[in-house]
Parts: sequence; C-alpha cells; structure tokens
Amino acid sequence: MSEQQITSSSPIQPVKRIDPLAVIVRFQSLIGLVLVFTGGIIFSPRRHGVILFIQPDNIANIVRAVSETGIIAIGMTFVIITAGIDLSVGATLGLASVVTATLMVSGGFGLITTVLAVLLMGTCFGLVQGAISSKFRLEAFIVTLAGLQAARGLALVVSGNQYINISYGDGPGLAPPIFAVLGGRLFGNVVPVATIVFLIFACIATLALNTTRFGRYVYAVGGNERAARISGVPVSAIKIAVYAITGFASALAGIVHAGQFNFGSANDGTGYELTAIAAVVIGGTSLFGGSGSMVGTIAGTIMLGALANILQLNNITPAMQLLATAAIIVLAAVLQSLVRRREGLGR
Amino acid sequence: MTQNALRFSNAGRMALLAGSCLCIAGVAQAADPLVKACAKDGEFVIGFSQANNAEPYRQHVNDELETAAKAVPQFTLQIADGAGNVNTQTSQVDNFITQKVDLLLISPFEAAPLTPAVKRAMDAGIPVIELDRKTNGEAGKDYTAFIGGDNYKIALAAGEYTSKTLLPDGGEAAVLEGLPSSTPAVERLNGFKDGVKANSKIQIVAEQAADWLPDKAQTAFAAMLQAHPDIKMVYASNDMMAAGALLAAKGAGKSVKIIGTDGLPGPAGGIEAVAKGDWSATFTYPTGGKEAIDMAKSILLDCASSVEPTVTVDTTAITPENAKQMMGK
Repeated sequence: MSEQQITSSSPIQPVKRIDPLAVIVRFQSLIGLVLVFTGGIIFSPRRHGVILFIQPDNIANIVRAVSETGIIAIGMTFVIITAGIDLSVGATLGLASVVTATLMVSGGFGLITTVLAVLLMGTCFGLVQGAISSKFRLEAFIVTLAGLQAARGLALVVSGNQYINISYGDGPGLAPPIFAVLGGRLFGNVVPVATIVFLIFACIATLALNTTRFGRYVYAVGGNERAARISGVPVSAIKIAVYAITGFASALAGIVHAGQFNFGSANDGTGYELTAIAAVVIGGTSLFGGSGSMVGTIAGTIMLGALANILQLNNITPAMQLLATAAIIVLAAVLQSLVRRREGLGR
Repeated sequence: MTQNALRFSNAGRMALLAGSCLCIAGVAQAADPLVKACAKDGEFVIGFSQANNAEPYRQHVNDELETAAKAVPQFTLQIADGAGNVNTQTSQVDNFITQKVDLLLISPFEAAPLTPAVKRAMDAGIPVIELDRKTNGEAGKDYTAFIGGDNYKIALAAGEYTSKTLLPDGGEAAVLEGLPSSTPAVERLNGFKDGVKANSKIQIVAEQAADWLPDKAQTAFAAMLQAHPDIKMVYASNDMMAAGALLAAKGAGKSVKIIGTDGLPGPAGGIEAVAKGDWSATFTYPTGGKEAIDMAKSILLDCASSVEPTVTVDTTAITPENAKQMMGK
C-alpha cells in the first residue's frame, strides 16, 4: 500500500512547512497500531513459553473480527473527507444480510445474481440518501439518520420479522454451497476469507482515493466546497457518489456477514456506524473534512480489533475496553486539532 | 400447569449422579474421560461467552454462574460479553480457543451464526456446554450438552394460566413481544398464543414489539390502552416489559392483569412485583447456572466420560400464592 504524503489539491492552498506534529498525525494510527501490537506482545498471556497474541490463529481472529466494520469504515472515510457523515451503514448491513439470505433461500437465485443485486441495492440506497441531502440541502446527519430507520424497517418487512437461516445444498430453499466460503479460511486454513475481501476492498479504495481524479475531488470538496465549485469540481456529483460508496460498502459487508454467519437478521450491524466512525477518526481523518487517509483508517480498524483481543486474552472487562477506546478517540481528535491550529485553520 | 405443581428438574442431576455411580462401579472404566487433563485437584479455566450483558436477565445468569463457580476453588470463571453482536461473540469464542480454556460455556446470541465457532471449540478438544440457547446440531455430538429452559413451553404455561385462572370468562388480551426476529421473542409469542387458544372467549386484540425494553413497553401499552380501553390482561415476554406495562396502566388509571416472564429476583424483579400485588404472575426462566457448574465439575474434576446431553430446567409459576415464599430464594 502506498504511504505517500497526500496533499489536498484544493486551489486555495497555504504554503506548508513540514510540521513534525503533522507527520505524527498523518501516521498516528500506524504508530498506534505498532504500539498496540508491542503492548500485545509484552502483555500477552503465554502458554508453554508461546506468546499467544502473535500466534497466526490469533492474528487471524483479530483481522476476521474487524473485516465487516473495516469494509464499512473504508466507505465512511470517503464520506468523512467530504465533511459528511453516514449513520445508515449498520442498518444497511442488516438489510443487505436479510436480502442476501432471502434471495438465495426463498428466491432461489444464484450466487452471482444475488451478490450483484444486493450490491446494487446498497449502492442505490446510498445514492438516494446522497441525492436527497444534496438536492434539498439537508444535513447528511439527518438524512442518513432517517436512512438508518428506513433500512431497519425495510429489513423487518423483507424478513417478515423473522431471522433467516441459510442452509446450503442443491435444491429449493438452499443456498449455493460456495457462498459458505466467506466463513472459511484459505492459505493453510489460516487467512479468513472475510479478511481477504476486506483487504481487496481496502486496496481498491486506497488507490481510488490516492491516485485518481475522483480522489482529488473528494479532498477538494471537503477542503473548501466553494473553491472546488469555482474551479470546476462537480461538487453535487461527488457528494452523491461518496454516499453511493458507503451504501455499496455496507451491502458488501452485509454479504460477508451473511456468508460468515449463515444468517440474515434485521438486527445485525447495530452500532457498526459508530465503530466505523471511531476507526476513521483514529485513522487521522478529520470530521471537518478535507484531510484524511485510507491507510490510516485501515490501521485504525485493525488497532481497535487488536486492542479488544489483547484485553480479552488477559480477561480484562469490557468496561475497560470501552474506556480505552474512548481515550484513544479523544487523543486522536486532540492531536488533529493541534495540527489544525498550527496550520491556522482555527477550529 | 397448575399453580401448586411446582417442579424442579432433577433429571439432569440424577443423570450425573447415575453417571458417577457407574464410574465408581467400574462399569464405564473403559470409556475415556471427556477431558484428559481432568483431576480432582487441578486448576481449570472456564470461559463463558455471554450473548449480551446489557439484558438484566443475562446479568442475573452471570451472577448465578459466578456464585456457583466461586464455590469451587479449582475453577476460574472468565466472562466475555458478546454485546448482542454475533460477530463480537464469535471473536470472543475464538479468543477462548486461543487461550485453550478447559471448558466453554456459551449462551449464543443466535443459533446459526455461532455454530461454526462452537464447532471450532469442539474440534480443539474443548467441551462446550450451551446455556439457555442452542446452536445448530445435536447435543452430545456437535456440542457436549445443553442446559436451559424452553421458551415456548414457558409462554405456553403463561397462556394456559391466562385461559384457566386469570380470564376464565374471557376478554381482551394484549401481548408485548421482545425484539422482533430474535429467537426467544418468536418462541414466547407463539407459546402464549397457543396457550390462550384453550379459551375461545379470549381475544388477543393487540400485539406490539417492545424489544425487551421497559420504556418502549410503556409507550406501546399506553397506546394499546387508548385504542382498546377494555383490555383485561397483558402478557409481557419479559419482566422488564411487564414493569413498563404496569406504568402505562397506572398512567391510564386502569387495573390490568399483568404477566411477566423471567421471574427475576431482587428489588426490581418480577417475583417482588407479584408479591406486592402489582402483577398477577410471572413465569421464571431458570438460568441453569448452578446445573452448568455442576456439570463442569463432573467433567473436569470427576473425569466423567459422558454427561446428560440435554438438561431442561423447568419454569416455576410465580403467583400470589407462592410469591412471598419465593422471594427469599
């Protein structure tokens, strides 16, 4: 993955000195990830001299557990860089999981058709939210809050208030067995397939944000919307597109969820929006828009997973896990704010 | 079930007793113990993967398990909170497997999603006792044993109690359902409906989901009372929602017969509410905590080669007749 310095291509660009603090913030989540891993190794319980934390199986557990929220956080990064927010992602995951299960189990649709249909549905769901927010100049917070309720409601309607189990086989009411591969592991039964999906998506998203015109536009819209408009950036289209991306990402996460757990439920994915936002913020992306990094988000996601893992291996209560996460979020936000102040951006 | 037919399932314990007797008699010597490292004086870690600590009932399960485990000096109990999320719970089971706990207790948040994780534990040679909720498969084969109540039967008992004792002359009834599309919510709803079928004069005029939460139950039941002022009784799928229904009835100035489910102990629990006369009844949902630790003892300390695969702990009807005496238990 590239770790090149990304400079926002907003036309009104103050001349930057290299600020050591800014460098720390750029790589804060990578630094955090290294720290958590170091701590993990130091504090890991041992069995017969073997450090449990860095066993391949344990690392696989960590990256498997964060794959769904990771996929969502990647989509969320685009939105937050444009200074927006998407609260509907967790509910969209739930909706996608029930639609996936329904299409394959009661609809009798094949794997490819189902996956494409669900991804299209998620993309459209995001697209509609982006369009409403852009056309009526509504706060994304409000529109996606409504989107959250709508997605949960639709999921309950689709599933008829029942959870849907996915059984595999050949025949009516059975899903194609290949779909269960999402719950499996490859490469010597170590690397979870869910993680592979997450990493592929992460690579594509990183390239899109760092190397394409679209990526530059996303930064431009978040950095200074007026300036972007004047210099010919299709602001509305970009704003709509980033919500389509979160919709797509949530649907992808929902498919991974259904395949991992052989199950679709309207309640699944509850609270994922907040986990994703936490990962994005820890990754160094500012909620004020205009700056942020995809690699940071990915590192932030894995860091939160590693933290949860090492705390549980040491039998430390969930309460401490929440408090530790809170401290990390505040620290990440404070670091950012210091940098912004130095750059004379005020807030 | 009649009010005075209080039954406590001893089947499980009897079976364990019988099992250990067999061992002593030397009949089952040929069979390998379930856990090779079992020993009377060993030190064992038991991991409990709880579905969601946020539910008061599950906190009560944790308390009972901790109490039972503390009484066994050889046991250390670790509780992980799945926080109502199948993904989190799966990763916590994986972590217990990494730690190589000696025995896994689990209340799966949902059946199918946790089935692969339970299989991984069994494949790693860790016995799995499922508490309150099952994963898919067969007890004794895909997991070591199941201990728990039967949601459907408990709700059925509440329905039958309503038909015979509470509203023998019929009338309008209402139902507050748990979280829609969750297994216990569906089972309790169906059980109650089947139970009141015994009395054709009872009509269920309103059904609302309140997600197990008292505040949502209060709002939902207040609206039901507006729409159907003649509601005579309400069945709440858990004690928390029954507490909410009581507030709504008081607010509307109506006297409505309330049945809860779970029979939680303590000052805010259902047993006390029945004893005070606020509710008509509640049906306990026994935790099985003590039975689970007893089973862990027979596996880890007594080197049992097999255990009873399914232990059903029966519900107790908490009614005005027995509520006061049950409070001290």
